[in-house]
Amino acid sequence: MRFSFLRLSIWFYMALFFAYLLGPLVIMSVTAFNSPSFPRMTPWECLTFEWFSALFQDERILNGIKNSIIVGFGTVILSVSMGLAGALMLTQIWPKLRATYYTIIIAPILIPGVVLGISTLVFWDRINRLLGLGADSFLSNGLFLTIIGQSTFIASYCMLVLVARLQRYDIGLTEAALDLGATHAQAFRKILLPFMRPAIASAAVLAFLASFENYNTTTFTFGAYPTLTIELAQKVRYGITPAISALAFIIVVLTVLAALANEANIRRKELAAAANATTVATVSGGIRLPRFLSGNPAAIILVLCAVAVITVAGTAATYSPAQCISDIREQKRIETEKRIQELRREREEREQSKPETTEPAIDPSTTPQSNNSGFGGVFAPDALGIGDDGATAPIEQPEESSGFGGVFDPGNLTTAPETPPADTENTSGFGSVFNPETLGGTSD
Amino acid sequence: MPTFLKGFLERNGTGPGLLMLALVLFWVVGLIILPQLSMVDFSFRPNLPPPEIGGPKDVYTLDNYRHLVFGPKGSSADYNYVDLGVFFRTIVAAICITIFNLILCYPIAYYLGQTKGNHIRVLALMLIIPYWINEILRAFALRIIFGQTGVLNTLLVSLGIFDQPYDFIRNDIALYAGLGYAYILLMIFPIYNVIESLDRNQIEAARDMGASWWRIHRRVVIPYAKPGISSGCTMVFMLSAGALAAPQILGGPSSLWFTQIIYQWFNDNGNWPQGAAYAVVLLVSCILLVLTVMRLFKVNMGDIGK
Repeated sequence: MRFSFLRLSIWFYMALFFAYLLGPLVIMSVTAFNSPSFPRMTPWECLTFEWFSALFQDERILNGIKNSIIVGFGTVILSVSMGLAGALMLTQIWPKLRATYYTIIIAPILIPGVVLGISTLVFWDRINRLLGLGADSFLSNGLFLTIIGQSTFIASYCMLVLVARLQRYDIGLTEAALDLGATHAQAFRKILLPFMRPAIASAAVLAFLASFENYNTTTFTFGAYPTLTIELAQKVRYGITPAISALAFIIVVLTVLAALANEANIRRKELAAAANATTVATVSGGIRLPRFLSGNPAAIILVLCAVAVITVAGTAATYSPAQCISDIREQKRIETEKRIQELRREREEREQSKPETTEPAIDPSTTPQSNNSGFGGVFAPDALGIGDDGATAPIEQPEESSGFGGVFDPGNLTTAPETPPADTENTSGFGSVFNPETLGGTSD
Repeated sequence: MPTFLKGFLERNGTGPGLLMLALVLFWVVGLIILPQLSMVDFSFRPNLPPPEIGGPKDVYTLDNYRHLVFGPKGSSADYNYVDLGVFFRTIVAAICITIFNLILCYPIAYYLGQTKGNHIRVLALMLIIPYWINEILRAFALRIIFGQTGVLNTLLVSLGIFDQPYDFIRNDIALYAGLGYAYILLMIFPIYNVIESLDRNQIEAARDMGASWWRIHRRVVIPYAKPGISSGCTMVFMLSAGALAAPQILGGPSSLWFTQIIYQWFNDNGNWPQGAAYAVVLLVSCILLVLTVMRLFKVNMGDIGK
């Protein structure tokens, strides 16, 4: 009883934990397909792919990707080679110095990225001045500084990965090669490097990913070459759009696919090893699923995912959300109109009961203050979303402008404060006149 | 030629040996030591236009540090309350985030480390995937969730817990959640690595002797996992104290993170020496804090990064 309770609570905790970990990514991915221009999941309006095309037309993002890739390759080459040299040195340095040396080369992981960026910038600026070079010299080039700054700490990661493998290396192999007449360079290239290859590959992947997502260091060093992360940060800080969600979705999908491919590959090797361990005959013979797929759940999921991606991309090419979007607009327009009609009817009833108050006694310029809720609606959280209906109504149905124009009627203004605008829907039609989206909508 | 160099070159061959030496020297001296020293040196200098650098005005001064403690010259306040306040808030918040992450991650790391089976690999994969996504995008995802019209507010309002949308961003809840979120993995993996190598028999022996689960953890697991815990805590603390992206994206309009002040000195005000001084203060105080805590808990520096 107690055991099952414990087990249940563990699973509950795990579920919560992974919801915290993966939930934001899922929600962000979903917002990439929703049509409102502010990334949101609720209310769901229309399935749309327009944010993806918006993303691919963004010059700055594309340029950022290009710079990121250049920086990434530079960082991989520099940090893997420095990491390898550092790891080899760690095995050979005197034991007395080893602890100090290890502390120094591990320190960049712990130094805040901001500090690394600043120190790189300051130091190379000084070198540049010492050499008497101008501001446009190679040493103050954004790409160079970024690669140098990032390699400082990424090389430490590489070193850790490489040292783990190097500890299992038998130095006798190199000695045997040297005894057999190989030069040191040959022994290094033909014996040590092949042994280290898996670790070098994973260090390179790690270095590329770390470089690709680095922000803290790069933000001080990028100069005239903003990387993708820098561009994203600028965009996110000054106004967010679902196009960023679209990019995030692409990255998430690529990551998942890569992880699954890696998993499938490992599993395939395990299966092959297991098969070799038993008898060869059972493996070769008869028609069966491709070896790649049999008994390999990761591979099956991978193939399914790939098929899903292709299907979605295929639908995206033909699917058009225009119908749905116009439906939603139409629906909102009808709602707005209904409210306006109601408002007008109420006003008329009021006019009949109290004819005196219809005089435009209140100066229109003062009404905004008195009509608190009406203008407050601009700042209400829902205003941006609902603002659409105010924007679209005049465009699609210009002949309906009389109903809408009633809002601007001075008589209407005087009565508006009297009729308590109970619901926000009502006021937002009014407030959306001042909504920035209105401007965008009418210019279409 | 000194004998150690000769021996080194003999062991590795002249060509590879020299290349190795050059790379290591470039990394250790040219990328790690000299830039840090140069930043410290720079922080003691006045902010001068380029032509005057190296001139008679270019002398060592404590003005930049003075500015952090006492504020600009001639100001009425005794201390620079704004910057000092941000500094201490950053440190305290980073400590809280570290503790929160430790409490959150320890059970997961223990479970992953002590359970065998195929699903563990799937879980590990699920842990790694968020870490491969860009830091900016992760902060962006949380901003979508915590926004005024975000998923969380919609949910809470529709459930009737709040009648008004709660401003998570202005109240810095989004920031703390984002910082905790960003570095979860760096807490889990060091602890997981250590606990994985803990012999299960030790736990079972403790249980056979009648220890409660709380006692098992306190007496057996935690002492064993101490290197992992300390290295995880160090990384999370240093990274969240030095974080820049999450505070920029998730921070409220009126609250600052210390790195944001440094960023402003560099990019908005163009006062590099001042920014460098602030960076030195951040670096030195973080390192001192970490070393003190490690001394308190009797952990070695060499355990970090294992």
